[in-house]
Amino acid sequence: MKSSELEKMSEKTLDTELVAQAQQGKMQAFELLVNRYQQRVANVISKFVKDRHEIQDVAQEVFIKVFRALPNFRGDSSFYTWIYRIAVNTSKNYLVARSRRIQNTQLEFEEAESFTVNEDHRNLDTPDAVYARGELEKTMSKAIAMLPDDLKEAIVLREVDGLSYDEIAEKMDCPIGTVRSRIFRARDAIDQALKPLLQDESMRKQNVR
Amino acid sequence: MSDKSNQNISELMDGELSSDCSRFLLKRLQSDVELRSSWNNYHMLRSCLQKEHDAPLIQDLGSSVVNQLVQEQSTVSSPENKSPRGFFKALSGAAIAASVAMVAVFTFNTQQEYDQSHLGLDVVYDKTPKQLIKPPDAMVARVEQPASFSRYPSLTPQVQQYITESNNQPVIPVYYNTEYIKNMIIQTQLQSRKATADE
Repeated sequence: MKSSELEKMSEKTLDTELVAQAQQGKMQAFELLVNRYQQRVANVISKFVKDRHEIQDVAQEVFIKVFRALPNFRGDSSFYTWIYRIAVNTSKNYLVARSRRIQNTQLEFEEAESFTVNEDHRNLDTPDAVYARGELEKTMSKAIAMLPDDLKEAIVLREVDGLSYDEIAEKMDCPIGTVRSRIFRARDAIDQALKPLLQDESMRKQNVR
Repeated sequence: MSDKSNQNISELMDGELSSDCSRFLLKRLQSDVELRSSWNNYHMLRSCLQKEHDAPLIQDLGSSVVNQLVQEQSTVSSPENKSPRGFFKALSGAAIAASVAMVAVFTFNTQQEYDQSHLGLDVVYDKTPKQLIKPPDAMVARVEQPASFSRYPSLTPQVQQYITESNNQPVIPVYYNTEYIKNMIIQTQLQSRKATADE
């Protein structure tokens, strides 16, 4: 067996490959990259922006800026480190722009008293979408809780603690093949639980279009 | 979609798949919708487990980002943004270019006609249809040909020309002139006969 066949493609190399393809203009590669880092970017933004609906808007703006700045990414730092800086700067700029908008808005005293924060108007999603997302989160949490203990432990060690397969195998005292299988079965089980919801979501999006 | 493919996706996103398989799978992801769906769903699970309390669950942000980028690109390249002034400017530019081209063509054509008439080439090489069909009789239609010096190729052209012009008949050397030799022989015979007669 050749050494190249045994050599794994690390997550950093995977990011480098996807970035290289995105730099060539392949939008599918960029889409994969966005879905890979969407939550981590949202976590960063949530430290600056408290409104949950605005966080998604800012996250979208961050990735738009990332795409435009892709030719400047040379791979000196990891991809996440690079987009982390963009996310922080974008969040700060968003706060500054929002505070200027609030200052420029002149309200009468009586109007200010009756002024209510109507999140639905600021939210770009429909109420159905907001509800669907909430349902998705609940279903996923429920599915994770219902996993068998060995699958739950394997997936938590991987996704929450960030351990490699070798480290998980050592911790769980099982072969690495078992770790691969457990992590995949955990993901597959939750995917199956989400399928009905995701089908409804795609039908809803088609009806909206 | 087979379990094996989905398991490969699972290992790929964890950085635990071999390089060869990873590259192959990345290529497949570009075109396979079901594989991309597995990728998105597995990453959504990762998002659910990694998300912080204050942050909402982000789902399939990639497609909305890509859609917005594509819309922006189509807006930039839209022809509706061009103003009428720009149209007239382009039209006047095209008219100027066309007139310059026509002037160049006419100038070239007249220059060609001048060149050909100066050399008289068309007079020399024009042939009637009869001549084309039936080769011309050499005695009747003799065309002036430049002198060919191929008879004495080793000599310079000037010497060849002198020989051709000055010698209408070829000069035969004495030792090749049979008439002269005959006369000489006859004269010597006559002289010898005369000498013996005197004796």
